Amino acid sequence: MVGEVSASPTITLHGITKRYGSVVACDDVDLMLHPGQIHGILGENGAGKSTLMKILIGLVQPDEGHLLLHGRPVSVHDPQTAADLGIGMVHQHLSLVDELTVWENVLLGDHRRFDRGIARRQVADTAARYGLAIDPDVRVGDLSAGLRQRVELIKCLRRDPKILILDEPTSVLTPAESEDLFSTLRAAVVTEGRAVALVSHKLAEILHATDVVTIMRQGKVVEHRPTTGATALDLATAMVGRRVSLRSSAAALGATDDLDAGHGEPDTPEGSGTDPAAARPVVLQIDHARVLRHGVAVIDDLCLTLHAGEILGVAGVEGNGQRELGDLLSSLVHLDGGTVTVNGVTAHPGRAGSMAGLGVAVIPEDRHDSGCVLSMTVAENLLLDRIGSVSTMGFVRRTELRQRALALMDEFDIKGAGPDATFASLSGGNQQRVVLARELSHHPAVLVAAQPTRGLDVGAIEYMSARLRAAAASGIGVLLISTELEEILDLSDRIVVLSRGRVIGELTRAEATAERMGLLLGGMAEHA
Amino acid sequence: MLANTLSDILSSAALYGSTVRFAVILAFAAVGEWVAERAGTLNISLESFMIGGAYSSAVAVGAWHNVPAALAVGVLAGAAVSSAQAWLSHRLTIDQFVVGLTLNIFVLGLALFLDHRWKAVTPVPKAWRIPLLHRIPVVGQALFGQPWPMLLIVPLVVLAWWLVFRTRWGLEVRSVGDNPQAADVSGIHVNRRRRQAILFAGACCGLGGGVLVLGQIGINGYEPGHVGLKGIIAIAAVIFGGWTLRGTVAGCLLFGYFFAFQQAKLVDINPQLNASLPYLVALGITAIFARRTRQPRALAQPFLRGLT
Amino acid sequence: MPDRSVRRMVSVVVLYVVCVLTALAVAAVLIAMTGGPWRRVLTALLDGSVRNPGRWGTTITEATPILIVALGVIVSSRAGLVNIGQEGQLAMGTAAATWVAVNHRGPVALLFMLAAGFVGGALWAGLAAVLRYWRKVPEVISTLLLVFVASQITGWLLSRSFLLQYLEKGVQNQVQTSKQLDPTTRVGSVRLLGNAVPWTALAAVALAVAVGVLISRTRWGFRLTVLGRNPRTAQRIGVPVMIAGSTALMLGGAMAGLAGASMLAAGASGYRFTAGFSNNVGWEGLLVALVARNRPWACIPVAFVFGMLRTGSGFLAATGVPRSIAEVVRALLVMAMLVPPALMTLFDQRRRPAVAAAGTLATVAAGG
Repeated sequence: MVGEVSASPTITLHGITKRYGSVVACDDVDLMLHPGQIHGILGENGAGKSTLMKILIGLVQPDEGHLLLHGRPVSVHDPQTAADLGIGMVHQHLSLVDELTVWENVLLGDHRRFDRGIARRQVADTAARYGLAIDPDVRVGDLSAGLRQRVELIKCLRRDPKILILDEPTSVLTPAESEDLFSTLRAAVVTEGRAVALVSHKLAEILHATDVVTIMRQGKVVEHRPTTGATALDLATAMVGRRVSLRSSAAALGATDDLDAGHGEPDTPEGSGTDPAAARPVVLQIDHARVLRHGVAVIDDLCLTLHAGEILGVAGVEGNGQRELGDLLSSLVHLDGGTVTVNGVTAHPGRAGSMAGLGVAVIPEDRHDSGCVLSMTVAENLLLDRIGSVSTMGFVRRTELRQRALALMDEFDIKGAGPDATFASLSGGNQQRVVLARELSHHPAVLVAAQPTRGLDVGAIEYMSARLRAAAASGIGVLLISTELEEILDLSDRIVVLSRGRVIGELTRAEATAERMGLLLGGMAEHA
Repeated sequence: MLANTLSDILSSAALYGSTVRFAVILAFAAVGEWVAERAGTLNISLESFMIGGAYSSAVAVGAWHNVPAALAVGVLAGAAVSSAQAWLSHRLTIDQFVVGLTLNIFVLGLALFLDHRWKAVTPVPKAWRIPLLHRIPVVGQALFGQPWPMLLIVPLVVLAWWLVFRTRWGLEVRSVGDNPQAADVSGIHVNRRRRQAILFAGACCGLGGGVLVLGQIGINGYEPGHVGLKGIIAIAAVIFGGWTLRGTVAGCLLFGYFFAFQQAKLVDINPQLNASLPYLVALGITAIFARRTRQPRALAQPFLRGLT
Repeated sequence: MPDRSVRRMVSVVVLYVVCVLTALAVAAVLIAMTGGPWRRVLTALLDGSVRNPGRWGTTITEATPILIVALGVIVSSRAGLVNIGQEGQLAMGTAAATWVAVNHRGPVALLFMLAAGFVGGALWAGLAAVLRYWRKVPEVISTLLLVFVASQITGWLLSRSFLLQYLEKGVQNQVQTSKQLDPTTRVGSVRLLGNAVPWTALAAVALAVAVGVLISRTRWGFRLTVLGRNPRTAQRIGVPVMIAGSTALMLGGAMAGLAGASMLAAGASGYRFTAGFSNNVGWEGLLVALVARNRPWACIPVAFVFGMLRTGSGFLAATGVPRSIAEVVRALLVMAMLVPPALMTLFDQRRRPAVAAAGTLATVAAGG
């Protein structure tokens, strides 16, 4: 397929290097995007693909290298220039304003004549051309995640970009919606000759939707090849730099089934098999829980039972109540109905520290939101909630605080900075380890892990998965809330699927096939 | 007795007249602040913008005896003071309340200091009586018989509405107030829009300050007490209005009524209670409405690129 | 590496010096523009504040309540609250102190008086806390509005003889003032090199140390810091947001009230509570905390400089320049002290430190 496209490249990136201090995010990267082609850019989180795309749309300036647009050198100072040059990017969900209507959002950042009538008609036209039906007058905040992405796509396509960049586009979509997206893209590419860059860390997606693929590792391009003929294992090996052995890392890359087919025996998750989970004591019970936000039920009649020593996966497309479930178990929101019991004790989730007090540890979805204090030290963050244990008569014993912190840093292998450095100065992986170390050091009854591997590199993902397994093996009930289906399938003993704030299906690991999960994720409980 | 008092209050044309005057002064500030708050900024320095406008208009009119020119000077002075707020808080990223407070103290002291050298005696512009309409009983004089600078509030409200809801600039202002990260990746310079919105507020407040000293009967020259926390009350009016323009204007009328009520001393109440009436009402009103209405999501949150 | 940090230190110092000099130059230009002799103004300010005999003792007396107010500001800012109503909290605290102490004698009455100032200020700030946590009224607005209400209330208290007003016999126009404090309920002073320094000044320095320990060395201070910097984390780990926040806000008000009571005991307005007693001490305390960037020890010298402007401006009459220039200079100085750290952050952002930036990028790439 690559051979067919001999037309000159729309854009060429040559020798792009970007450093952040001693960290090289992009190292002498070359990339060519051709018209009429979908170009996959594959790499782990932190491999430099996001930085590269940010350079392309002007959010980041490269230290070295240059860009050629149709053979002419250009410089992209800011997103506005990029838009003028015909480079458009579909962000995940960063670029929409909830309070504005669809047409207003589509117009945002544009600087053509501002006219409501014309704008709305254009939105409708663009939507019709690509088969992306949408009402231009609806508030974007009222739309589902899938429809919001449709708005992003329309916003981008309306400007008639020569180059279209999609950054991890399927993370908010159901499998069916992803299919639709790729067929829309294919149409845009083939009939209109656009160049498309599809940035992803999911092998399956790259294999399925792209024509050529560029694989990045640690800021460098390690391989460039046509997609046809490539296998998941080839791509994964190139991406990680060694043969992928652990299921967990492969799972995070989105290719569990391919790998199973390729090599290896499925290793059964620990804990299942020997003694049935149901026989063990219930550590967390949620009964008909209801949580309202602005009068809308974001958690609606949710029922869930977690046993000691099991990993219960909570699957679901993003925006179906996962965040609120995490908040509920973090004492951040009140219940508007139903009950939550931990080890048989009724909890009052809205009361400060109540869930933590009952032994519910949480690795929050966004650690910066409720998992840490960025401007305090690593040691302080490690003992954030246990400061009383290193205090006498209300005075903090600094040396003991530091010693306890050092012990934890040693146990959890936290590197990169000492206990007195600020939390913000740690890398993402080490920050996540600090949170994990603190939460596990309490010997909790329940560990809630919400998107625990998001944003981590493969090594850190393996470490996190092993820790979660070990926690379950030690008798802790682990609630794994994740939108990464592969992660759920890999780690969980039992799986429940969340849709619109309620549990619409429950499966054992053995029952959970990709097809059944796909149907459930799409909200079609009755067909699964 | 009570019924008598009540009917006195309701039929007092003077009370309506001064309600409108106070409400108009508040509205100049509140409309500007409404735009600035839609952009996600909260400016307690409104007070200093007004003082800047009031003092410099008073000096200018003393020097040139030209009311339109003096009002223009007021607008420029308000914008100049607000540019300090905008630059310090949305370029240097110093906390906006800290900047606001310091500016209030600075401009209050500066006007007082300069006033001993350049004092101003202001002529009162003639009232513009709109034919026939001003003869409407009770409210006619209040609405259609005010000095002409007061009437500038009407085009200003329309302008603010048009800017915010019918221009690209307004769309961008609303987007940086609700979701600055999204606006940023859409290619909008968030802090520049915010600075512009504050500048607009400064110009409005400067005009309001000018109208305060030039368009009001019975006010002669600049005195620090004239502004007297009206900037803060204007913020309360925006909160009362639930961040809508219509509500903000209604809030100004409400607070204007209490200022007028306070000034008219129609009811025999304790003088201190009377003096604190508008401020107590403002506290009560914000207590009722701050919780209910939906404010711009990023209100009073600074924006730094990269820190999501 | 040390080279870089030395360079940074030098540039910070240079920035501060440039900014302060600019502020002073602007003030000088303002004075010259209005026809005033700026050199004589400077001399008068220095004579009045430190150079003339006995003046630096007076300056310390003036600086003491400002310092106490500033320490209170630090406590409430630590919880992430923007309390700007110290002027009113000080007035209400002093009113309470006067009410308790004015008809009693002896050191016990003095103690009760200070306690009443503390409680009075706390309760007044408590109103803002109630509005903040129960009705979500931004404390920036409520505390400011309450300043004005407080001044009316104290005016009312001072116009009622059964409350605080002191009726002098045979005088027609009664002024709004309280009875004078009994000599046994006043605070004494130590003589140091020909200057009288009140005991309250020493106590205030001790208080600065105590506040420093409280916020950075105690469990309570630790939890308050968590609350101020990340309220959601605080809620999760069990810091009761409403209770801890209200306590911090009320403690801030309490310190302002205490400052008022100590002023009264040290002889402000002739040991009488009067209308306008607070005389901007609350505002200045707030500014001191801002300039000191919420560090208790740094408040001590800054409060002294603010005290200098107060006592120095008393000597301006001979130069013909109005006292309000002191307010202008003060505000200019505050701005001059706020700009350098902000400029440094801006520079640092331009060349962002490696790890933090990479971390942020990873987060954005993953989460966004």
